[in-house]
Formats: sequence, C-alpha cells, structure tokens
Amino acid sequence: MKITYNWLAQYVDFDWPPEELSERLTMLGLEVEKLERVGGGYEGVITVEVLSRDPHPNADRLSVCRVSDGKGERQIVCGATNFKPGDKVPLILPGNALPASSGSGKPLVIKAGKIRGVVSDGMLCSGKELGVSEDADGLMILDSKAQAGQPFADYLGIESADYVLDLEVTPNRPDWNSVIGIAREIGALTGGNLKLPAVELEETGDPVAERVCVRIEDAALCPRYSARLIRNVKVGPSPSWMRSLLEKIGIRSINNVVDATNFVMMETGQPLHAFDYRQLAGWKNGKAIILVRKARDGESFVTLDGQKHQLPRGAIVIADEEKALALGGIMGGLNSEISESTQDVLLESACFLSQNVRSTSKKLGIRTDASYRFERGADPEIVDWASRRASCLICEASGGVLQAGAADAYPNPPSPTRISLRYEKTNRLLGVEIPRKEQASLLQRLGLRQDADSENSGEFLVPSFRVDLKREVDLIEEVARLYGADRIPATPPRGTVGRHEHDKLHDGLTLARQILVGQGLHEIQAQTLISDQAAGIPRGLELVALEHPLSSDMNSLRPSLLPCLVEALRHNANRGVADAALFEMGSVFCLRNGQLVEEERLALALTGSRLPLFWTKEKETGDFDLFDLKGRLELLLEALGVRGAQWRRAESSEAPFVEEGRLSIGKQVIGRLGQLRPLLAAQLDLKRPVLLAELDWKLLLARRCAGKSFQALPMFPSARRDAAMLVDESISHADVLRAVKKAKPDFLQTVELFDVFRGKGIPEGKKSLAYAFVYRHRRRTLKDEEVAAAHAKVIRRLQNEIAAEIR
Amino acid sequence: MVEFAKDPQAFIRNAQQEVEAAADLSRLQKIRVKYLGSKGAITGLLRQLGQLPKEERPAAGKAIHKVRDAVGKMIDERRRALEIQSSKPTHPTDFSLPGRRLGRGGLHPLTRVTEEIVRSFRRLGFAVAAGPEVEDEYHCFDALNTPVDHPARDAQDTFYLAGKERRLLRTHTSSVQIRVMEKHPPPIRILVPGRVYRRDTADATHNPTFHQIEGLYVDRNVTVGDLKGTVAFVFRDLLGKEVRLRFRPHYFSYTEPSFEIDFSSPLTRKMGKEWLEIAGCGMVHPQVFENVGYDPEVWSGWAFGFGIERIAMIVYGIDDIRLFYENDLRFLRQF
Repeated sequence: MKITYNWLAQYVDFDWPPEELSERLTMLGLEVEKLERVGGGYEGVITVEVLSRDPHPNADRLSVCRVSDGKGERQIVCGATNFKPGDKVPLILPGNALPASSGSGKPLVIKAGKIRGVVSDGMLCSGKELGVSEDADGLMILDSKAQAGQPFADYLGIESADYVLDLEVTPNRPDWNSVIGIAREIGALTGGNLKLPAVELEETGDPVAERVCVRIEDAALCPRYSARLIRNVKVGPSPSWMRSLLEKIGIRSINNVVDATNFVMMETGQPLHAFDYRQLAGWKNGKAIILVRKARDGESFVTLDGQKHQLPRGAIVIADEEKALALGGIMGGLNSEISESTQDVLLESACFLSQNVRSTSKKLGIRTDASYRFERGADPEIVDWASRRASCLICEASGGVLQAGAADAYPNPPSPTRISLRYEKTNRLLGVEIPRKEQASLLQRLGLRQDADSENSGEFLVPSFRVDLKREVDLIEEVARLYGADRIPATPPRGTVGRHEHDKLHDGLTLARQILVGQGLHEIQAQTLISDQAAGIPRGLELVALEHPLSSDMNSLRPSLLPCLVEALRHNANRGVADAALFEMGSVFCLRNGQLVEEERLALALTGSRLPLFWTKEKETGDFDLFDLKGRLELLLEALGVRGAQWRRAESSEAPFVEEGRLSIGKQVIGRLGQLRPLLAAQLDLKRPVLLAELDWKLLLARRCAGKSFQALPMFPSARRDAAMLVDESISHADVLRAVKKAKPDFLQTVELFDVFRGKGIPEGKKSLAYAFVYRHRRRTLKDEEVAAAHAKVIRRLQNEIAAEIR
Repeated sequence: MVEFAKDPQAFIRNAQQEVEAAADLSRLQKIRVKYLGSKGAITGLLRQLGQLPKEERPAAGKAIHKVRDAVGKMIDERRRALEIQSSKPTHPTDFSLPGRRLGRGGLHPLTRVTEEIVRSFRRLGFAVAAGPEVEDEYHCFDALNTPVDHPARDAQDTFYLAGKERRLLRTHTSSVQIRVMEKHPPPIRILVPGRVYRRDTADATHNPTFHQIEGLYVDRNVTVGDLKGTVAFVFRDLLGKEVRLRFRPHYFSYTEPSFEIDFSSPLTRKMGKEWLEIAGCGMVHPQVFENVGYDPEVWSGWAFGFGIERIAMIVYGIDDIRLFYENDLRFLRQF
C-alpha cells in the first residue's frame, strides 16, 4: 500500500521529516518497506517583489534592497544592477543551499548575516545561480504575474517534493489500507486530532429516492448498501493534482468520475463503484432498482476488463431487474461502465461479507483493490462519509448535480464491540507496570471509548474500523504497541527445566554425525521433494504424491534418502569432483497399506578414491569398496554402543544394489547396504563403484546401550594359535564364529580373521579362511598342553559343524 | 697358535684394522663371526689350547681371553659408532611437504548453525523436541488460530498431499508446539528445529523446503520481558556481543502481542543496512492455549521462531539459498 508524505500531512499534524515518520510507523507495526522521494527542487527559493533599492553605505558596488516575501519585508544586500523596485525576483532563504551547478563541488549554503556591516537576510539570485538559465548578468527578472511569497518551483510549474511510502499492511489491520487510517494512528502517537476534509454537499437535485431504490436480498452478505445519484456530469480528465497523486501511488488515472472513487478508496479504505445510471433498466421510467442478490445458476457476467466469467454459486451480484451490473465488492461490469458519454452517475458505497468476496475472487481469479479490502474486513460506518466525499469530488470535477439524500440500505447497524480489560493482566503479560490511567488513555487515543472504569478493570467500546479487536489480549497488544515495545525491560532468562522425549535422541544424532564426520564423511541436506522417476530408484515403494506440485521435478516426497545421495554424487561428478563420502539424516515418506508412513533415516554414500592423493609412490589408495562402507557403519554402531548387529546377504532386494546386505538386530531389520548397480550408476554419470547404505536411525538409537563398565587389564601372557581352513563358499564368517562359540573353548579370548583366499591351490566352490585364536587365563600363565587342548576342541567343532578342512 | 703366541699384539692390530674398516653393521657382523663366532679365529685358538704342554696352558689361555675381550670391546665400540652414524638422516627432511591425510568430513552449514542455536538454548534449560513433517490442517493451522480462509492455507502457498485427507507439508515448526502441548501438561520449555515447506519456486532467496527453529516457553507469569531477555541472550551468543535488537509490533495469528525482531550489528552494516529482520515472536495467543486445554488465566508463554538458512546466509555471507541443497562438495568443504 502506497501513500505520500504530503497527502498524509493533510489529515494530521506531525513535525517529523519523512525518515523519522517511516521509523515511527515501522515501530508501530506498520512497516515502511520503501521510502522514495518524488518531484521537487528549488527548496527554500521563493518569489519576492522588490520594494526599494538604495546604495550600500560601505560599498560602491552593492545595494541594499527591501523586498516583500508575501508575509513581510526582508532586507537583502545585492550586487546586481539590472532590476528596479516593482520587479519580481527569486530569493533564496537563509539556511538553504543553491542548487549545485556541475563541477562546483559542495553546495553553497546561504546564511543570514552582515555584508560590509549591513544585515542581509537571504540572497537574490541570477538564472545561472539557480541553474535555470545561462544568464549570469544580474538577477533573474520574473514574469509580473509571479506572486510574492510563491515558491519558485511553483512559479516554474514544478510540483514540490513529496515522498512515497510503501507500507506492509498486516492482514489484521484493514483500517491501515487508507490514508485516514494511518493518519489516525499517527494521531494516537502524537495525541493530535484527525483533520478530516469538510464534505458539504450541495444537494441541488431531486431526492434520490424518486429515482433509485436499493433492495438487499440477504443482509448477511451485504450489511450496507448506499447509492447516490449525480446527474448531468461531464466526464473528462481529472484535475492535475488528482492525476499526479494517483500516479505517485501507482493508480492509473481514468477519468474524473472513476478517479474520484479510487481517490476516496485510498483515502478512506472504502471501495466505491460508479455506474452509468442510464444503463440501468428502469431509469427511463424514473426509477431504477438496485438489487443485491446471489448469482443465479449458470449466470455469466462480463467484467469491465472485458473478461467473461461463469459466476460461482453464491457470488454476490449487484443487479437491476434485468441483468447483473457488478460483482459485489470485486469489479464492475462492462455494461454499466462510466464512459465519455455518461451523463448520470450512480455512486455505490457498500459493505460486503469478507468470506464471500474472498471465495468468489479466488474462484474467478480476480483480485482488485476493492476485493483486497473487503476480504480483510470493511467498516460499515465509513460507507456514508466516503459516499459524500466522493460525491463532492465528482461534482467539483465534472460539474454534475447531486440529487438530494442517499438510498442507504443499512438494515442492522452493529452495536460496538465491548471489551473489558483488567489492567493488572496487561502488566502481568508484558512484565512492566503501566498505570491504569495510562493504559486507558492509550486506548482512548486509538479511538476506543471507555464505558466504565473500576479500580481493576475498564470497559471499552471498539470503534467500527477496528475489526481486529475482539478480546482482552487484543487490547493488551494495543497498549503494548503504543506504549512501545522498547520500553518493556528485558528479564534475564529464567524458568523451568524443559523436558521432551526427543531431547535424548537429539544427542544421539549429534554424536552419530560427529562419528561419521570423523570418518571422513560430509553431511548433506537434500530436497525432500523429488521427481517420481528419481523416487523410483528403490523399487516397490508406494510414493506420496503432491496435489499441486511446483513442477514434475518435485512431484513426490522422497521414499528413501538414496535417490538424494545419488543425485548429490551425480551433481559433484558432473563438476569434476569424483571422490565423495557423504551422509544425510532426514525424513522419508511412503504409503504402506494406504497409510502414510514418515520415517527418520540415515544414509551413507561412498564413491571414488579411498584416500586423498599423496606424493609418495605407494599405491595404497584404490577405490572405496563395500567393506570401507561396512567399516564405517561398524564403527558408528560401536561408538553409539549398539550391540548384537547381524549382517546378512538378502536373497532378494528392492534396493538398487548388485547384492543387498541387511543389518539387523534381533529380528528387526535396521538397515541395508550394497553397491549401486553399475548400469544405473552409469546412467547417472557415476563411473566408479558407488556404495550405499540406509538405516532407520530411530530404531538404531533405540538400541543404544550407553553404559560402560571397566574390565581389569590382563596381567598374564597370552598364547596365539593360527588356523587356516578350507570351507564351502556358502559358509560365512559369521558361521565360523558361531561354530567357535558353540565349542565353548576354555580361555579363548579373541578370534580374528586375517586372510580370505580363493584361487591357486583352492578347489572351485571353496575358500580358505585363516584365523588367529588368542588364549589367556586371567590369573595365571597357561601351560602349552592347556592351550593345545582348548585349541583342539575348537578345531574339532569347526570340522564337525562346518566341515572345515584344516590346512 | 705359534704365530699368535709369538706376537698376540699383531693379532689384535690385524683385528683392529678390519674392525675399523667395516663400513656398515652387516660387515661388522661378519667380522664378529670371523673372530668370535663358534668357528671363529679366537674360538679356534681356544680349542687348540689342549695341544699345548700342560704348564703353558694357563698363561696361553689367559692371553687368548684377554685378546678375545679386547676384540669384543673393539667390535662393540665400532657397532655403537656405526649405529649413531646410521641413525643420521641421509638427506634433510622437507617439512613443507603435505602430510598424509585421511579424507576430511564436515557438518552441513545448516546443521552447524542449528547446533549453535541449540547449544545456546540448552544452556538456558530448553529441551529439543520434534514432530512430523507431514501434518494435518488442525495442527498446522486451526489449532494455531489461523482462520479457514487465511491466504497462507491456500494451495498456492502450501503443499497439500494428493488424497482426501487434506494432509499437508507443514509450513512452520509451530505445529510441533500444538503436538507437545496436547501431550504434556505445562510448564513447557522446548526448542524445535526442523524442516518446513512453502510452495515457492526456487530462486536465490527461496527454496520449497527450508529450516526453522522455534522456541516455546509456557509457565506461570511469563512476560514479554522474559521473551526479550531470552531472545537477547541467544542472539548475542549467535551474532556477537555487539548485536542490538529491536522488537517491532507485528501480526501472527497464534501470538498476541506479536513482534518481529530486527538486529543491527557490524554484519548488517556491512550489508548496507542498519536493521535486518531476523525472527518473529510473541506471547502465545489465549485461543491457542484454549485449543490445547491450557487455562490462559493460569498459564502464559511466549514463542519465537526464525529461519536457519537466513541466519546461515548472514553469518557466512552466502548469497544463494539453493547452494544449501545442491550439496556441492566445493561448497560443503568451506565449513
């Protein structure tokens, strides 16, 4: 919403320059987003008439002049000679600067003072000094029509400077969508009164009631409808002040009738509409009927922008007996638009139900300044004043004759809202002591009337334009706003210790992040909205789709983090970053049995070189493989204190993996890992192996066992026995460990795999596994025979259980 | 034996020459074997002792032992000298060469900022809470006093899911306020970081998803003064001690009075502005308390929330919000 500084100043007194005004409004909750200077120039330069010219007593080349500035006389010392008493010349007043001419550096500020001992109160100027001509020989002699005291800019036909304020009006304050509303707010701040323009109607015509009759079908939809009639207008351009003002606030000037309605809407916040009266059915018979009704089924209507609309059921329509004339509160119709040939104007000032206007405007996709205001809530009490004000302006500009009175249907004038305020409640909520008298006075300055008062509370009547004030806390807010939030002292933080079940999980997540970062992974944050195509990378999941996606690239919620990680790898690979170790934590969404499921996941991705480039020849780097990924996961589990993890190969997989490994604890599957299928990887420009894992972190953190307990350090030496064995490919490392465990060997402390070998000397379908077994007694040194016996027990078990051939 | 007996000193001199000529430890080891090994020269001499007449044996034995000790000592000394020599570097080390590193990881800048904020609030006794990103209209709007026809609820601005239930992607973390208050009796002191959604086309300052963090404090006699004090504490932590804050009245449906918070610091002046908007806040609206079954006559509280991206952009000087979601490692490695 745009208004101008000078315009505002017509309605309320304040002595703040534009910047300070902006600051004050902003601190009242009416944020000034932009302040822009328009027009202007020649500040402090006025036209004066030379009254006398006498020689300077102390200088031959100077003269002492007396001039009239319209209000009084001034004495000026001057060096020019080309003028005589009676001439009109420009004078720059003390404290103002000459317009800076090009290349002259700093502007010269004129001061009042003595020149050669004689007082000089300003400076008479040449055309060159003012920058209006090249003439530097003597004063600029003005046209004799110039008025003494007239601003020089005005003489030149230049409008004086103004400032356009662009305001952000919050939706709760429809009254701020008007200059008067804002002026009222400034008045509340300064304690000054609102200065409304006088609306003295010259109702020289016949009574309106003889020519117009208003009927409202449903008063709930239209609480008030007022019509005035102005006859014999001459439609033409608006006066220049009106055109200039509308242009500054971004409204296109149309003609002297429509401009007046727009001007009054910006002035009062009340949208108005002007109809061409002679387009109404029944005008010829001397009586037109204005009917406020709901749109009929299948009714269509052409708005004044030439668009034809199928009207939604329930839309408010302004009609005559035959046809619709306007969409109530939204836009007029082409059939009754004001044109150059319009002679009689029917002026509507009405109030429409906000919900209805909003829904019709939304359904038809029409947003206008009027609909914007009605949607937020209009003031039925301003309807008549706005109508009278616009009538005056139309008559003034178009020479029309106003018919007497108004056809004003206002069946149920609302009684004002009454709110009781407990002064103590204000102080308790704000944390500051505002005396009860001050609270009441702040509210009164905002236009509330105090109806009753007691020691503890006051009753206040809310003015009709404050639709946002409904309950006590609304008044408390008003007190706080006008009192000033900056005057409420800040209290040092205090209070209860917060609790929430998520709090502990948050710590777990923070720890998990640190462990992953410590293992060389970068955290990412991806889009949660992705294309259904990308979301299809893990197959077999039912996607959650958006009703109105922004684009096909973002039409689904991600069912897994893997598509996002893969996309991040692709993005980096395409920019020459082929080595990446990434993880993400976030929500994923899918439908299971028609039910939406939101889960919290953690996913990892590795691709490219395992280690950064180094300058020795050692070629230890190589590319990341599956066990780099698993190692990182194992370390994560260990650091989090998650025990009992089992890793198995899945027989089938919906994940996009060459083979899927599953991580489970007990019977619960916690996550999956594998290598991205090379074909899929190639499609995504990923040339080297891509390893992926995805875990459900809520399940994972639920398995945390944070407790630690100390075990005494061993004091006696250990004995190590190695065993290499041939086993079937189908036998896993986990099978070996299980067999060892079943043997329940005495003194066995650790079993470590140190080699897996296939190839030369190993039959097809077999593999060789080599383990180191470490035996140790807690309280003494073991004897060789004891170790041998224990180890033999293990070996036997391996032979029997998994048919291991010991090599 | 005969030559040795004639001139044991010559034997020692020979040995000494050889030992001193040994250039490295392996050569020295060979010399040791030659003299002192089980088949070495001195061991051989000892074996020949038996061939001497009985009366000469003690003196000869003594002489051989003396020689053996001398040679042994000689070799030991030479070894120490060689060891010292070999521990000296063959060439000077270039300490400016890059070190051997494991790959470096890092937290996402949004996590970094979130963690800083969380740390600050936790010092004051706030607990971290969370809630679902897919919400219903009740928790996201109705319970927060947002009227049914409010523009924010429009399909233009909010992502609704396909289907009849009118489920949506939460537009703010405030929905979690409602979920927490529904479940827990007052007092409440929580902090809610999380992802939210607005139906904005991505550009330098918008992304359809972004992050918010929100604080809620409900207790007896909570005031605007408390709100100001806590906000000041947290923002000083986050943006530096010299930061100045101002509370500007504003409108939100779920708080009243409501304020927007602007801050001013060397950072804002670097951006050419005295004041920069950073957060919204206010006292919990009594209607919201009534919706969750709290008595607004007994309990009062405040809530405040702000965008994490915006803070991260200000703090790190990032000029395009989309960078946060592209996950370019050249970007991520800078934090």
